[in-house]
Amino acid sequence: MIRMVASRMASSSLSIVILVTLVFFMVHLTPGGPAYSILGQKATAASVAEVNARLGLNVPIWQQYAVWWWHLAHGQLGYSYLLSRPVGALLWQYEINTLVFYSVSIILSTVLSIILGLIQGVYYGRWPARIIGAFQLGFYALPPFFVAAILVLWFAVGLKILPANGIVDLREANPGIGSYAAHLVLPVTTITLLTVCSLSRYFGEAVHEELGKEYVRTAAAKGVAFPTILIRHVIRNALRPLVTILGLSFPYIFTGGVIVESVFNYPGLGWLMWRSALSQDYPILIAIVLVIGILTVVGNLLADLVNGLLDPRASYE
Amino acid sequence: MSDQLTMTAAPGAPAARLGRMFTWASERGTLITGLTLSGFILFIGFVGPFIYPVDPFAIHPNHALEAPSLAFPFGTDELGRDELALLLSGGLATLIVSLPAAVLAFVVGVAYGLASGLGPAWLDRLLMRLLDAVLALPSLIILLFFASLVTLNNTSLILLLGFISWPSLARLVRNETMAQKGRDFVLATEQLGAGRFYIARVHLLRVMAPILVVNGTFMIGDAIFALSALSFLGLGVQPPQVSWGSLLETGLDIIALNPWWMILPPGIVVFAALLAASLTGQGLLARWGNRR
Repeated sequence: MIRMVASRMASSSLSIVILVTLVFFMVHLTPGGPAYSILGQKATAASVAEVNARLGLNVPIWQQYAVWWWHLAHGQLGYSYLLSRPVGALLWQYEINTLVFYSVSIILSTVLSIILGLIQGVYYGRWPARIIGAFQLGFYALPPFFVAAILVLWFAVGLKILPANGIVDLREANPGIGSYAAHLVLPVTTITLLTVCSLSRYFGEAVHEELGKEYVRTAAAKGVAFPTILIRHVIRNALRPLVTILGLSFPYIFTGGVIVESVFNYPGLGWLMWRSALSQDYPILIAIVLVIGILTVVGNLLADLVNGLLDPRASYE
Repeated sequence: MSDQLTMTAAPGAPAARLGRMFTWASERGTLITGLTLSGFILFIGFVGPFIYPVDPFAIHPNHALEAPSLAFPFGTDELGRDELALLLSGGLATLIVSLPAAVLAFVVGVAYGLASGLGPAWLDRLLMRLLDAVLALPSLIILLFFASLVTLNNTSLILLLGFISWPSLARLVRNETMAQKGRDFVLATEQLGAGRFYIARVHLLRVMAPILVVNGTFMIGDAIFALSALSFLGLGVQPPQVSWGSLLETGLDIIALNPWWMILPPGIVVFAALLAASLTGQGLLARWGNRR
């Protein structure tokens, strides 16, 4: 188990190093560069040189690259060009919002997927499963920005029962937890709708497959009631593929997150990435690529570990 | 079932995953629905502007932000521009970028996969390591990143989308090549003195044709989604040109005024385009998978 985790981590870390290297050189070899995005396209050569000197962009590129890793080793991710604040602190501030947003969404998606998947697996091929299947397909093809727009149109503009964007109501001096919660409802609903359709599908398939196995027949022959078989045996076994998919979908949830956070102006990591991309704030962008890369690795690792707990045989594979 | 294993779509591609959910539907119905929807989308983008020849950029200040009426079937935006004309022009802009981008991604993916599968072992290891690095992030993140680096126009968007969305196909082609190149007919051809390019062209590509067509279809859907998402985020098709993604974004900007006619049509056509690509791909997959 430990050896498997170690080798997985080593190979993923190598991928992340390559990725960050690619990204770094792409940024720094692009004509124009940060000086122009700070000063504008009409900047004079002298002011560009001055900004480049201040940002440390006038030394050879391999030296900049080494400096970047040196700083990372000391826990520094550089300074945002436009906000003039350390990237690490900025990321942390937005990361917390994103973590709240995602943990709520992922927990909700998982619970809903298990319920829907069970129904689908038990009634496989019959009408309850077909209805769920049709919804899964429909919501899966819906682009996230469209789902978000419809939800805002309906609940925030039409019915006026939920806030359309932001994280708290700025008019309130002391927004309570209720205000935060209300602002989370629509973004969380969007991500959950989009995630549940694929997750519940995988779970439904797994439940259907498990139900056809011999241990289910044996248990039934022993006289174990069907709900008990379902809860004690089938769910546990069917959870394994779900956990793997959940781990793999970490970065994809984040992708949906960029769009959803931009629609709702929710100040999370995705929103920060979007704004930084628009304003060409490269230190932030490089750092976010690094963070998402790490999230991906962590997601996969977590999935492996949970699977090891669910089924000890998995550790020896 | 073994056919399904070799016929699976590239992992990770959203359209491919969507396709796999649709196994309960009849394959014929799926293919026909998919092709019909595809025809509808192509019609909107390429023929629509000629059937409804209204200037999408003509401004009618007296008719700003009007709901659908006889004069403006799909309403007007906040500048008083005809929404239907904008939708059609946005369709053209979306398709002329995403279709070539999908073709480019397809060519790059096949070439990369073949090079990795047929080349020397060190090249294979190098290319696959690079692939892992690119696949470590969702493509939209990488796209967003590179879109911020370059000057955005149709050419750069095609190159961007084309050079970002090939990895999943490349891995599939590489694995297929690895599986096929040990087979007797390939070995026999090799013994007869055929070069690598000949084998790739005459044997491997022909054997892989069904998988390639299916995945190519999925890639079109992915390209349309990626371009719409980028445009929605302001890093795709640039003003004054409009696209489906940017039209939706314009509507969302003034959503407090409840401009449902600016949001529903572009959203529905993107939805239809994604559905078209995945249903067609899934239909073909089922058809060829069963025939084998």
